[in-house]
Amino acid sequence: MLIGLRYISLAVAVTMVPAVAIAQDISIVLGAEPTTLDPHAADDGSEKAVNDNVFETLMARDAQGNLVLGLATEQPTQVDATTWEFKIPAGLEFHNGEPLDAAAIVHSVERMIDPELNSEQLSYFSTFAGAEAVDATTVHILTSGPDPILPARMYYFMIVPPEASEAEGFASSPVGSGPYEFVRWDRGNEIVLQADPDWRGGDLDVQKVTYRFIEESGTRMAALMAGEVDLITNLLPEFTGQVPASASMRGLEHPTVILNTNGGITQDVRVRQALNLAVDKEALASALFEGQAQVEEGQLLGRTYFGFNEGVSAYPYDPEQAMALLEEAGVAGGGITLVGTGGRWLKDREVTEVVAGYWAAVGLNVDVQIFEFDEYLQRLFDKENRADAIFVVSGNELLDADRSFSAYYAPSGFGSSNNFDQLEEWIVAARTEIDPEARQALYEQAVQLGHDEAILTFLLNINNIWGLSERLTWEPRVDGKMFVATMSVE
Amino acid sequence: MGRYILTKLGQGVIVVLSVVVVVFILTRLIGDPVRVMLPLEATEAQRTQFEAQLGLDRPIGVQFVDYVADVAVLDFGDSLWQRRPVMDIIVERAPATLLLTLTAIGLAVALAVPLGAVAALRPEGIVDRIVVLVSLIGLSIPQFWLGLLLIVFFSLTLGWLPTSGSGTPAHMILPTLTLAIPAMTRLVMVVRSTMIDEMNAQYVRVLRAKGMRPWRVVAVHALKNSSVSILTLAGWELIRALSGYTVVVESVFAWPGLGLTAIQAIERQDLILLQAIVFLTAIMVVVLNLLIDIGSKAFDPRIDLRAA
Amino acid sequence: MSVAEQVDSTDLSAGDAARPGMTAAPMPGLWADLKGDVPGLIGASFLALLLLTAICAPLIAPYDPGAQNIIMRLKPPAWVDGGSWAHVLGTDHLGRDVLSRILHGSRISLIVGAVTVMLAGTFGVLMGLTAGYVGGRTDNWISAIVDTQVAFPGLLLALLILAVIGPSTVTVILVLALNGWMVYARVTRGAVLSLRHTAFVEAAGLLGCSTWRVLMRHLLPNLSAPLLTLGTLEFARIVLAEAALSFLGLGVQPPATSWGLDVAQGKDYMFRAWWLVTFPGLAIAITVLAVNLIASWLRVTSDPVEREKRFARRAG
Repeated sequence: MLIGLRYISLAVAVTMVPAVAIAQDISIVLGAEPTTLDPHAADDGSEKAVNDNVFETLMARDAQGNLVLGLATEQPTQVDATTWEFKIPAGLEFHNGEPLDAAAIVHSVERMIDPELNSEQLSYFSTFAGAEAVDATTVHILTSGPDPILPARMYYFMIVPPEASEAEGFASSPVGSGPYEFVRWDRGNEIVLQADPDWRGGDLDVQKVTYRFIEESGTRMAALMAGEVDLITNLLPEFTGQVPASASMRGLEHPTVILNTNGGITQDVRVRQALNLAVDKEALASALFEGQAQVEEGQLLGRTYFGFNEGVSAYPYDPEQAMALLEEAGVAGGGITLVGTGGRWLKDREVTEVVAGYWAAVGLNVDVQIFEFDEYLQRLFDKENRADAIFVVSGNELLDADRSFSAYYAPSGFGSSNNFDQLEEWIVAARTEIDPEARQALYEQAVQLGHDEAILTFLLNINNIWGLSERLTWEPRVDGKMFVATMSVE
Repeated sequence: MGRYILTKLGQGVIVVLSVVVVVFILTRLIGDPVRVMLPLEATEAQRTQFEAQLGLDRPIGVQFVDYVADVAVLDFGDSLWQRRPVMDIIVERAPATLLLTLTAIGLAVALAVPLGAVAALRPEGIVDRIVVLVSLIGLSIPQFWLGLLLIVFFSLTLGWLPTSGSGTPAHMILPTLTLAIPAMTRLVMVVRSTMIDEMNAQYVRVLRAKGMRPWRVVAVHALKNSSVSILTLAGWELIRALSGYTVVVESVFAWPGLGLTAIQAIERQDLILLQAIVFLTAIMVVVLNLLIDIGSKAFDPRIDLRAA
Repeated sequence: MSVAEQVDSTDLSAGDAARPGMTAAPMPGLWADLKGDVPGLIGASFLALLLLTAICAPLIAPYDPGAQNIIMRLKPPAWVDGGSWAHVLGTDHLGRDVLSRILHGSRISLIVGAVTVMLAGTFGVLMGLTAGYVGGRTDNWISAIVDTQVAFPGLLLALLILAVIGPSTVTVILVLALNGWMVYARVTRGAVLSLRHTAFVEAAGLLGCSTWRVLMRHLLPNLSAPLLTLGTLEFARIVLAEAALSFLGLGVQPPATSWGLDVAQGKDYMFRAWWLVTFPGLAIAITVLAVNLIASWLRVTSDPVEREKRFARRAG
């Protein structure tokens, strides 16, 4: 009602002063409306954006992406190869008064793997086999095989109250244990959360947060410029100078181009290296992304990801050498097909076209084929007929090499176009390698081989950019999560 | 009259049935929701399972019979995107669309009648020429562009109105105007020409010869006699808005109605949701057509029904 | 589209289409008449210029409409600070020349408009001729199909079709033609019905002319005026529809250019680069306005009753 009055008075009063919500209340714009608020059901970024504030997890990450303790009171330990032990404090409660104890965690695990729920998140928790409560504050998570990255997985695993989560309507009015309580979901319009007055983590500056959903980035931007909202996601790099304030952080998205090592001119490693040398990554980052992207270190991984290889760096921009290599391989002026899509990822079409432009500049005859996402997927999935080059954006929410490499490095991965059996061996071995150092070593080998053999054209790591109102203070995070508890307003 | 209504009703049923068939052919025979809806990492087994879940693995004849049976009780199944019954989503979103379209067409009529009437007072006079020219311009402006211009001017430059969304009366103003203006310009043209014809009719000439003032002739007599055709046209504008223009306007203003939902369903390849929206809109259109036909018959006995 | 299409802004309906007394040689002195109608003349001149532009686009456009230059991106028009005469209307988010894109975009608008009108018109007229002349059961069937399809929620169904088979310039033309042929069928059928029993048509039949010959040589010429007006109006509608579909991302797909598509792409940059939305939008509006001006002139000129009315008003 208050907001309604505000707009009416605005319309009448003819004022240029932007309308800002009442102090301590903020509104955040998401790119899409959540499809559900059940924290276990969907693989949906908007649902996570809201529920990250309502629910808690056993493990957490700091702003740089290092894994730290969440609900857990001490580092998880391995009881045996397939059992991880977590300890939580005594006396925790959900917002509805249900106890948050080992039994609640067991219930949460069982709920996640229940075929009935048919969770879209199973690919993150594929190793879950079950859980056992040892006592009220100790729980064992059982995995189907050795799972070294289970603690990292737990950062994405939200603990739900046993009773409320089985009750009707949990998906539209969730109950959690986090700093904010769910208030209402007016479908199509907004979701409202309010601060839990008894939050054990201390005083919360923001008392009420309203989520709105605007898909068009121009419209999102307009809402921020008009002072209607405090935080918008996915701000286009061009507008960092125009919004009241902006924040950016190296994100999880790595645009890259998969090169086919089995056919076409890309069979020859010299050609694949030339394709890497031909692209001016710096210019791509500074001109197309206005500096809101980093040149990626030749490995599809960020610095804080498990498996990052310090010794490998990006291919330099050297069109002369690229041309020399193409000449040497005997394919100067040869034809190459580059498949891409438009509108799925930030500037996907633009990056594809610019890369094609660089390849054309070293004398190749590039056939750019931009498809609708549906058709594009058919080509990406078609392991029989690989295009010479396919543009794709790799995202890695687990911040662990396994996810990216299983998809784009291992020959069996849906997105890989190579036949290096060693990569498959190393990646499979690392998946169940308990010793972190041995695991790191396996990934470093894979990174080195992937780089030297140029199985991809390594490009960039794109920043996440947020637009902020002047009154909002907030530090963005590598994982892109928007914890309202870390925000403050003037 | 009864026979007439029956005929029209029969036509309506045929339209609805044709839409059912066309939608089925499009979504089941041509489209493939499975591939697009599943995440990139999905295995072949997951795909097969998903196909079975949607019932797409059964013979096409069986699928059709089931489909018709479900549609008959308005059960369209679960949305692929939101994983809940499609009808729930439609029931949530439809009011916003109806509110927007009814307000906009109401506004269009309210503006078009006086403008058309004023223009008709002196055909080819200065006022008439201006009204006609402005209407032509209004007809020629792309609706999505008009919406963007209004946002830039009223929301960003002046800061008077919210840029998008819904929830308060202020949120309604720009989308309503964007939907109303083109409809209004079409209506103005028709009101104007109907009124000019009326003004040339014998009885008006008599009234004017008797010394009645022109505006009175227009306001009382000519307008009354044109009201049926104006209302019929307003009905058609409502149909146009529902069956298409709201998609554009709602997507420009992020107005949470059926049109925006249709676009979102397309972006997410949720053909289940999209087909339900198309089908229910078809029903609304058929019902509106029926109301218009019966209404104009009831209020204007001059319409020759056998010709229709 | 919907039922509404049968009576468009110009209240052009089957009844008006074939007023008795229209001669077999339609619209004498077209040019002379056009000179007397200033708005019509302006519209026609603009359209002629646009046609020329579209044909010569590769010659007169300063750049390749797809040529990117990311260093030169988002430059404003020449007369604004920071702009240069190298890019008169500025550049877009990929550094492409806005003027060149608009010049090339005119081709898509005109081609989609013209091809759709021709496809829908030819099919609709053939159906209308058949229904009106053959009559009986054929007429019933064709009329039923027309009535049914007219009551379809046109644009939404078009969206469904485009979503399923995938958008492209060709599918847009097909979908719009599929949606638009009914108006022509109705107008033609109405006209044929009212002309069928006129003396000259019956005489032609008696003299042993084949059905085809009667239709083509005697009926069709009498229909050219109302069909031309209708086609012009439909052309304007199609140009707008193509722009709207492309704006929604369901029409013309890059790397092809279209004004609607350019507005959609420019929308994200509305706050920093107003020219990206303004110029393509203006191009659509002016083109459609020109076509509408011609249509309203054509309607008055080709309709004896309208002509009389106008004459009477002017005289009185």
